[in-house]
Parts: sequence; C-alpha cells; structure tokens
Amino acid sequence: MNVMLFGPELYYLGAALVFFFLTLKRKPEPKADYQIAMALGLGGLLVTGLCLCQHGELFFKAYRVDLFSQIFKFALALGFFLVLTICHNLPQIAERDQAEFYLFLTTTTIGMMLLVSSVELLTIYVALELSSYSLYILVPLRRGDGIDVEAGIKYLLIGAVSSGVMLFGLSYLFGATGSTYLADILPKLPQLASSPIGLLGLLLALAGFFFKLSVFPFHFWAPDVYQGAANQVTTFIATASKAAAVALLLRLAILGAGYGYSFTKALVILSIISMTLGNLVAIIQRDFKRLLAYSSIAHAGYFLIGILTLKEAGYIAAIYYALAYLVMNFTVFMVINEVAKDGRDLKIQELAGLWRRSPLLSLSLIVGLFALAGVPPSIGFTGKLLLFTSAMSQGYFWLVLIGAVNGTISLYYYLRVIYCSYFTDDPNLGPITISTPIRFLNYALIAIVLGFGVFPDRIVELAKAAVKTVL
Amino acid sequence: MGSCDPIFLSCFLIVALPLLSFAVIMIFTWRRHKLSLSISLTCSTIPLILAWSLFYKLHNAVTLAKPIITQVNWLVSDAVIVPFGFLLDPVSLLMLCIVATIAWLIQIYSIGYMEGDPGFARFYADLSLFGMSMLSLVSASGMLQLFISWELVGLASYLLIGFWYEKFSASEAGKKAFVVTRFGDIGFFMGLVFLTFFMKDLNIPGLGIFDINGAALTHKLSEAQVTLCALLIFCGVAGKSAQFPIHVWLPDAMEGPTPVSALLHSATMVAAGIYLITRLFPLFAASATAMSVVLVISTITLLLSSTIGMVAKDIKQVWAYSTVSQLGFMAMGLSAAALGGSTLFAGYYHLTTHAAFKALLFLCAGVFIHHFGTNDFFVMSKDGGRKLMIPMVTVTIGALALAGIFPFAGFFSKEAIMAQLWHLPNKLWVGLGLFGAFLTAYYTFRVIFVMLFPRKDDNPVWKEYYVREPGGHGHGAHDDDHDGHNGNHGVPWVMAFPLIVLAAFACVLGFMQTGLEKFLLGESHPHEMNYLLLVLAVGSALSGIGLAWLDWGSPAAKWQGFIRKVPVLENFFIQKWYMDHFWRWFLNTVIYGTFSRIFTYNDRRVVDGGVDAVAFSTIGSGRLLSFLQTAFVQLNLLFMVLVLAGVGLYLLMGR
Repeated sequence: MNVMLFGPELYYLGAALVFFFLTLKRKPEPKADYQIAMALGLGGLLVTGLCLCQHGELFFKAYRVDLFSQIFKFALALGFFLVLTICHNLPQIAERDQAEFYLFLTTTTIGMMLLVSSVELLTIYVALELSSYSLYILVPLRRGDGIDVEAGIKYLLIGAVSSGVMLFGLSYLFGATGSTYLADILPKLPQLASSPIGLLGLLLALAGFFFKLSVFPFHFWAPDVYQGAANQVTTFIATASKAAAVALLLRLAILGAGYGYSFTKALVILSIISMTLGNLVAIIQRDFKRLLAYSSIAHAGYFLIGILTLKEAGYIAAIYYALAYLVMNFTVFMVINEVAKDGRDLKIQELAGLWRRSPLLSLSLIVGLFALAGVPPSIGFTGKLLLFTSAMSQGYFWLVLIGAVNGTISLYYYLRVIYCSYFTDDPNLGPITISTPIRFLNYALIAIVLGFGVFPDRIVELAKAAVKTVL
Repeated sequence: MGSCDPIFLSCFLIVALPLLSFAVIMIFTWRRHKLSLSISLTCSTIPLILAWSLFYKLHNAVTLAKPIITQVNWLVSDAVIVPFGFLLDPVSLLMLCIVATIAWLIQIYSIGYMEGDPGFARFYADLSLFGMSMLSLVSASGMLQLFISWELVGLASYLLIGFWYEKFSASEAGKKAFVVTRFGDIGFFMGLVFLTFFMKDLNIPGLGIFDINGAALTHKLSEAQVTLCALLIFCGVAGKSAQFPIHVWLPDAMEGPTPVSALLHSATMVAAGIYLITRLFPLFAASATAMSVVLVISTITLLLSSTIGMVAKDIKQVWAYSTVSQLGFMAMGLSAAALGGSTLFAGYYHLTTHAAFKALLFLCAGVFIHHFGTNDFFVMSKDGGRKLMIPMVTVTIGALALAGIFPFAGFFSKEAIMAQLWHLPNKLWVGLGLFGAFLTAYYTFRVIFVMLFPRKDDNPVWKEYYVREPGGHGHGAHDDDHDGHNGNHGVPWVMAFPLIVLAAFACVLGFMQTGLEKFLLGESHPHEMNYLLLVLAVGSALSGIGLAWLDWGSPAAKWQGFIRKVPVLENFFIQKWYMDHFWRWFLNTVIYGTFSRIFTYNDRRVVDGGVDAVAFSTIGSGRLLSFLQTAFVQLNLLFMVLVLAGVGLYLLMGR
C-alpha cells in the first residue's frame, strides 16, 4: 500500500493523537495549544496539497482515491485551517476544554475526509457517523446559558433520525442489488427500474447528506445549531462540512441516473422548497448567525440544482460552488468572529457603524455577502452562473427561474445586513482592533473571492478533471 | 488580431493613456497638483507623438486606400459580435491628429490659466477624460464603440462645464449641456437601433455601419427607412453640434474655464457631431429628404447664431455663437455636397480649419479674461486690452480666418463650402450662405475694432458700455485675484506658445487644401475657379468688415450697431430669439405639466404600490413559514418523517 494514498488521513490521525495527549495535561495552556494547532493545520494543508494528484484504491476497493476526492480533502484541510485561524481566542470554550475542542475538530475532519473517498455503503455510513459524532460533541461544548444544550440535543436527535432513515435506505439498496459497492450497484439499478425499491432506497440513503447540507425537510437543526454552537464550531459546520456533503451527494446521486425524470423530479421539488423556505424565513431574522443558517438552507437548494442535472456541466458547477461557498461563507463568519470578540451571538443591529469601527472588516463583510448573494464579479456570481447555465441547458427553465427569483429575495436580507453596517451608527460601539495575521487573512479572502470570480478558468478546469473520475 | 500589431498597439495607447491618467489622478494623486500635471501631460504627449507618427507612416494614399481596421472581439452573444478596435482611414487619421494636437496645446495653456485653482488636478483629470473619449470616438471601429465614446464626451463636457460647481450658473450650465445633448442622443440611439433592425443582418462586422456604402444601403433599405434612420441620427448630431433648435446649451457652456471652451468648441464636443456626419456620409447621402432637412436646419442655425453674435457683449459668447454659426456652415456644406452628389471634403475641411482658428480665438479670449478678470470685451478695451501684443495679434489673425479673408485658413474652406452651395439648383441657399458670411465678418470685427480702438476715457459711450460686473461673467473668485496686478506681468509663456502655434496653423492650413484633398479622397479634383462666386464671397466678407468699421472702428463711429435702428429686431436678438424662453415654456407645460404628471402618478401608484405589495407579501410569507421552526423537536421530527413519507408515496404512485 502506498502511504501517500492514505497520507492526509494518516496525517490528521496523527494530529488527533497529538491533541489527545494535549488533553491529558493537568494545567491547560491555551496559547501553546493554539500554536500547535496552527502548525498542524498548516502542515495538513501542505500534506493534502502534496497528495492532490494521487489516485488508487484501498481496503478491498471500498476506498477510492482520485482527483475528485483529493480536491475535496484539500478543501476540508483548507476549511480546517481557516477555522483554526479564527480560534486565537476561544471565549466560548472553557480553557480546560480547548484541547478537546481541537481534538474533535480534527476527528470530524478525518471523518469527512474518509467520507469523500468512500465508495462502499457501509464505509460511507461509518465515515459519516465519525464526522457527525464529533460534531454532536462540539456543539454543546459552548459554555453558558443552556442554549448550547438545546442545540446539541436537537442536532443529535435530528441527526440520529436522519441516520436511521439513511440506514433504512441503504438496506433497501443492498437488498435490491446484493452489493454494498457503488460500482456494483450502479449497473444493477436500472434493471430494477420497474419497481420503486431502488429509487426509494436511494432517496432515503441520500437523507444523511441532506441532513448535513440542511436540505428541506432535514433543515430544522440548522438555525438552532448555528446560533447555539460556539462561533468557531458554527463556522466549521457552515463551511467544511457542507463541502463534504456535496461531494458525497455527487457520488451517490449518479446512481439515480437510470431512473431519469422521476428521481430528478423529487430533487427538483426539494431544491425549490429549500431555496424558497430558506430565503423567505431569513428575511425576518434578527440574529446574524440564524440568518446565515437560513441562507445555508437556501444554498442547499442551489447545490441540488447542480446535482440533479446528473451531467458533467452541473457537477462542475456544484464542485465550483462548493469550493466558492466554503470561501465566501468563511469570509462572513470570520467577520462575525472578529466583531463578536467575546463570543456572543451577534445581532444584525450590533454591526452598526462597522465602516467606522473597522473599515477592512466591513469591506470583507460586503464582499462576502455580495458573493453569497451572487453579485458579479465575485466568485459566488460565477458559481451561480455555472449552476443556472447547467440546469438551463438541461431544460429546467422553471427551476432556474425560481432560483433567480430566490437570488433576488436573498439580496434583500444580505443588503439589510450591509445597510446596518454602513448606514446606521451606534456611538456606544468602539473601534475594533484586528491583529496583523487576521488583516492579511482579510486581504487574501477578498482577493480570492474577487480574483476567482473574474478568472474562474483554473478552478473550472480542475473541477472538470475531477468530474471525469466520478461520472 | 493580436496586441503585437503595431497599429493596434499605438491606437490602443492613444486611447488608453489619457484614460489611465484620468483614473490615476482621480484615485491617487488628486491632492498633488504638480504630480498630476506631469502625469496628465505625459499621457497627452505620447498620444500626440503616436498620432502624428501614425499619420506620417500611413499618409501615402496607397496604404489608406482601404480603411485599416484592427479590432478584438469584446462582447460575443450568439449572432451579435461587438468588437472593440480602431478604424484608420484618412478621415479618422486626420481628425485623430487634430484632436491630439489641440488637446495637448490646451493642456499646455491650462498650466498658466488654471494656476492656483484648488481643483487643478481634477481639471487635468477631466481634460484627460475629455481627450480620451474624443480620441476613441474618432478612431472607433464600430458604431457601438462610437456611441459609448459619444456619451463619454458628453459626460466629460458635463464635468468640465460645471467645473466650478460651487457657482450656481456653472453647475446649471453643465446640467443643461448634459440634458440637452442627451435629448438628441435618444434620437441617435434609436436611429442606430432602427438601422440594425432594418438591415436584419446583425453580422454587419460588429455593428460596423461605417462599411456600408450607398449602393448596398439603398439595395437593402427602402427610401423611407433610410430617411428615418438618417434623421434620427441627425438628432444626435444636432445635440452635440448645437444645431437649431437644441443649440441652447452651447452658449451657456462657456461657464466652464476658458480652455475647456476652447477644446469644446474646436476639436472635441461640437466637432463630434459633424464628424459623425462625415463618418456616416454614405447613409446621409442616400436620403435626399433627410439632407434637405439638414440643409434647412443648418441654415437656420447659421443665421440665428450670427444675428445673436451681433449684439452679445461677452467675448466668449460672441465666439460661442460664431461656433454655432460655423457648425451650421459645415452642416450646410455637407448636406449640399450630399444633395449635389459631391464629396464630404468641403465640410470636413472647414471642420479642420475651424478647429484651429476657433481654438485660437478662445485661447486668446482666455488670456484677456485671465488678465482683466472680466468677460466683457468693452471693459477689456477700456482697461487696455490692445497692450497685450501677442494675444492681440493672434486674435486678429483668428478673426481674419473666421471672417474668411485671404490668405487665412477660413477663406479657403468657406470658399469650398460656397462652391458646394453654388451647385445647388436653388440659388437661395448660396445667398443665405453669403449673408451668413457677411454677418460673421461683421460681428467678428465688431469685437476686434472695439478692442483695438478704444474711445478716450471721458467719452460718453463708456456710460453704456463700461459696466464692471462683480466677479466677471463666467468666472469665479478665481480671477479676481489677478486684478491686483493688472499689467504687471505679461502673458505667461505657456499661454502664449499655444496661441502662436495655432495662429501658424490658421495661416498655413489654407494652402494645404490640395494636399488635404488628395489625402482624404485619394485624388484631387482640379477646381475651375468660379470668379463670380469668389468676388461675391470676398465681397460679403469685406462689406461685413467695412460695416463693422463704420459702426465700431472709425474714429467717427458712434459705437452703435446698425441693428439699433430696428429696436424690435435688436431686442429679439438680445433675447436670443427667445429660444431659452421657448424651452422653458416647453419644459414647464409639456414635459412637467403633462408627461411628468402622468408618469409620476404611474410611478407612485402602480409601480411603487406593486413593489410594496410584493415586498410585504414576501416578508409576510417569511413570517408564516417561520412557524415551522418550533422549539418542539418532536414536531420537527414528525414533519420530517411525514415529508419523507409523502415523497415516498409520490415515488410509489407516480411512476
């Protein structure tokens, strides 16, 4: 076995071990822990970068390493690293829990990395549970008023039900085809086209990922968890875990290609309801993180647009948008984290006068939100354009139309946030100081969001090459 | 068509550098005047050199027999391809050189004129933008690019006319220029749309309507269609080139700093309209009806502005109305040529010479204004305007050229236009043209004689004429600073140098007629001298000057225009033919009173109401849907399972 094939996973396993030993220390040393975490995160980024072009199969062909999986592993490593960069102060996590916080963050990353490479049903399930269980612990880790416990329980319950539904679906798939390998299931499913068992099984099997991506009707956890978890945890859930979910949905959804319209129609309906529900309810939110939770529900709908085309163009768009979403959503969360230094939940009104308090953060905020809304020339615009074009070329005119209307609605609540930060002021709120590394992080994020929006070719080429290995 | 093509590259630099200068000054260096000045000067000198070297390289007719087009595709949308690029043929190449030269000279001149102005850097940024848009207009390879540049010219002129925006009249004048020309541009744009629509062939190389020749046009389009398009496009021309009845913005445009007026009246803004006619000459020539309309309008313009020029007391206003009249003259020449089946040479030639001497006249006026802090040339006369040697000599040369006196440039170009008019079957037009020339000579030399031969200080005429308005007309507090040291300093060298260059142009351009014609048309037509016309033309110009001498020049003159004998007419002229009143009335009753009222009602009730309804119902549905999000996790789970069951049922039943 080539070690390089399993390199990123091994590396993060080692990192988890390091954090485990850190948790054993008697006296917590948050500063030192943070520095070790940063170093490990940076190393992880390096290792996944080096392993980008590996391809091969492991563990009795249950585990597949290809460009597709490696790109997403890199995205996960990037997400992990980015979340670490905003962990320089963790006011919401008790000092003696901070090493554990890093430990579980690492294990959930490992789980997701395993997930994007799995091509066997049980492996997928185990990997998914590994990543989920770590998050179940991370969410209630926030210290305070009990809102975290409520969120944690809700997350756990809905996650458990989703897992149950997913297992149920997987059992159907296994029962119908007699195999747990995706490669074996794929050619057999169309033979079952006359009976709904395969189709129903597939749809239920997708439930686990709908849960992660917060697609309707698995979205109920999102607002509470986004609000209740510590800001850094929310950031991780909102960025990296979404990318992993999209990756697996892309792998699994292709199984439904043989069913044609009836399968995609179910996805179309879920997509439309997700977008519309997310955007409409986001309008009336007052808490910024809750607003972003609903925005993520709406974005789940956009992701589904690319997935349900089941064609190369749509898959490219979905990959591009997943990567773009990671960066732009992180940009917004980074601003939240810097503005709410004490780790409180940020009300939209508390952004008042941000242009005065920190011009750079307000610029990042405007860039990130415009990217989420899909305003050119940002990366979000290009992503939405690719998504809508791919769906349009497949003839989903109404879906695209509803998507575009939803884009307009979403602009309303994003602009409301921008309005608050630029056109209102509150003399009680003092200026925000940001450290030099964060300053450079801001510049880099703005450059990426705008740069790859104007010149998306490189990413699109990469996504194209990755899609070839899946389809 | 790579960027390695030297012609493309130099054209690109010609256009891009001034734009760059505009951007850099506006964003970075607007606080640092010296630095901005050097950026702007560099970015206008290089285009100047490039333009003339292009001219030098390509001036052999062989290379320009077919237009050189270098372009890259800018927008591609199915069948429509919009290119960005440059078209070089004799017409555009010569204009490119003229624009680059005059823009450069005016930048030099402004070093002296704008010295110490708080908006010095902004002024140079705007000048760069103005130059850039005109250069790109002149060299545009497609109609859309031309239109964009056309609008940019409008924008730049708005910025510059309203440059001293703290002064109410200046900002009003800028607004007026912008709105009035935009009024014409609507017609222009509709003309373009119709033309594209009628041609039905969106693949005209990048909407490059320049390529069409008259034959292909009449082949594809009916007579009425050509006329419609030509007339609509002429609306744009009338706006930019200040033709009756939308000329009203140009005289007000002198509210801007004088170098701006010089630029605006000679090579950039107003020249754009005439340039467009020459550009689309085949289109205009294909419709006799449209050309007759143009002829009538331009003749009215000529007479109207000449008569107003006779009574104006503001030197810039006189020159402004003379511009309007000369533009009318050019349009007359072009339309007469189109009707008579001749070439565009006469009108274009007059555009060239006019650019030189009109810039000269304005710059001279600028020197006087700068020196005396007033726009009233009677005041200048009393305060000793004749003592400023260089501007006095050069303004006289400019005036001689404007009046059309041999051997100055205006003589030759006016003669060429008269010849075109003479060939029309109806001799009325040439008669009116000669009358216009007579009036032009009269009002021009009214200014010159008043300035040259002031009355003695105790002469009673000063009671009427020596009225010093505080602050002067068209100038802010800026110029009052100079009152303190009247006459102490001569004319700064940076201001005198452009005067001399332009005066030289005004002297020699006339003798280059044959060469220019050969360059523009590829061949030179031998001219049979029409002695009768020659005598008539020179006679009308000389009699105009003679009358001016009797009224204003000779020691016995009473300093009263002959028009004083008909007070009704004089008042009519002083009120500028009541055109401003007409537009005010038109705006108040027709636009505000009727259309605005209806549209406002529609906007308030229908549009706003509709939008509000949509917005409120969206927010309302958001509130409604948010009830799904309850704190009871049991309900959430139940809902989840129900939805899944529903989808499952649908899949079971629906197939």
